[in-house]
Amino acid sequence: MKEHDKEVLIKVEDLHKSFGELEVLKGIDEEIARGEVVSIIGPSGGGKSTFLRCLNLLEVPEQGSVIFEGEDITRLSKGKDLDLIRQRIGMVFQQFNVFPHLTVLDNITLTPMLEKKLSRKEAEEKAYALLEQVGLIDKADEYPSRLSGGQKQRLAIVRAMAMDPDVMLFDEPTSALDPEMVKGVLNVIRDLALSGMTCVIVTHEMGFAKSISDRVLFIDDGVVIEEGAPEEVFENPKSERLQAFLNEVL
Amino acid sequence: MTLSIFDVFIKYYPLFLKGLVGTLKYAAIAVFFGSILGSLISLLNIAKNTVLNTIGNVYVTVLRGTPLLVQMYIAYYFLPMAIPALNALNKETCVIISLILNSSAYVAEIIRGGISSVDIGQMEAARSLGMSYRHAMVKVILPQAIRAILPSLANEYIAMIKETSLAGTFMLYELMYTRTLLANKYLIWQPLFIIAFIYLVVTVFLSMLVKLLEKRLAVSERA
Repeated sequence: MKEHDKEVLIKVEDLHKSFGELEVLKGIDEEIARGEVVSIIGPSGGGKSTFLRCLNLLEVPEQGSVIFEGEDITRLSKGKDLDLIRQRIGMVFQQFNVFPHLTVLDNITLTPMLEKKLSRKEAEEKAYALLEQVGLIDKADEYPSRLSGGQKQRLAIVRAMAMDPDVMLFDEPTSALDPEMVKGVLNVIRDLALSGMTCVIVTHEMGFAKSISDRVLFIDDGVVIEEGAPEEVFENPKSERLQAFLNEVL
Repeated sequence: MTLSIFDVFIKYYPLFLKGLVGTLKYAAIAVFFGSILGSLISLLNIAKNTVLNTIGNVYVTVLRGTPLLVQMYIAYYFLPMAIPALNALNKETCVIISLILNSSAYVAEIIRGGISSVDIGQMEAARSLGMSYRHAMVKVILPQAIRAILPSLANEYIAMIKETSLAGTFMLYELMYTRTLLANKYLIWQPLFIIAFIYLVVTVFLSMLVKLLEKRLAVSERA
């Protein structure tokens, strides 16, 4: 997974985002290459989730640009164009956000059928294949309320995968899970990363970030304070703030 | 000789029944057309356009912030003057229109509340998958909002059953109008108790149905 080519998939330039008076992102420049696995660590409220949510414009930055596959998506008009971009950027949330009124199968097939005009048969074949991969095949006709947290998150991951995205964004995917569920979800993400999927993962799972990432970003106070290969970042932190953070969490 | 409540009911029950039918009919008309109009108003409220939002807000605020009786008087006397086309309509229609308008404001608020009861994460998940706003609304948000909306709409119908009692003031034949009819026969107090009792039976019965509906919706959510 480390010998990815250097094609830049997402390029972020001078990203600024405020919520009212609070400036959450204070100028972030970053490049993510196709096939790269990037973990983002840092203290709560430091801006890592906001940074991630800017990548698919769930949060709209006031300044700076997000260039996805060569296209500045911050300049797109909201609507069809942005929808098409978002179909290529999968996202997984801390709170799963599976659709409670739909069966597991329908959760997965809904968007491909609506937006990619897949037939039900095509969409279901794909959904079954994905469910097989994450061990949920026997839950296909259940409603999400019958699933554990870990199963919901695995459903959320394959729901995003069903759109054939070019990159997957994970916003603290295991933070809302009971401890015994964490491993199963991390294994699914690991399989994805190993298969060559570009992944950007905001996480508090330091061991996982260390073992899976090509690169680790440490974001605090709205800027990238330090970044590098996981060995460097975790074994040999340079900035005081990263050292303090790692002392706190490890 | 004074007739007992029971005597009055036995003697005049066709009048009360006709009144009850009128009450249920007017309430149904108000909530049915109020729901259609209220849905349109709620579109104004959730639109991403400040002007439309303001129009929707003012509409809802005015109709919910003023008494229905006042609205009825205005509709009764001034609607036909303000809108010449309504001159052709009879006074009864004007009162019914005011019932519909009033109900639509409450329904708009019910729909808005139902939509905002759906977790924001649902919209974010749908949009992050690349779903259009319209699809996300129709396929993800509204099916979940409807669970909150349906029982509230039923409660709005129950509330309207009581509200329509004001229409009797304008000679619309509903339950409360039987009081006027019987007062002409010097029956003052008996009809009031009969009317109150009928309202109570109907609203309690319908409230029980709403409870059942809520239970079933809750079950289907768990299933």
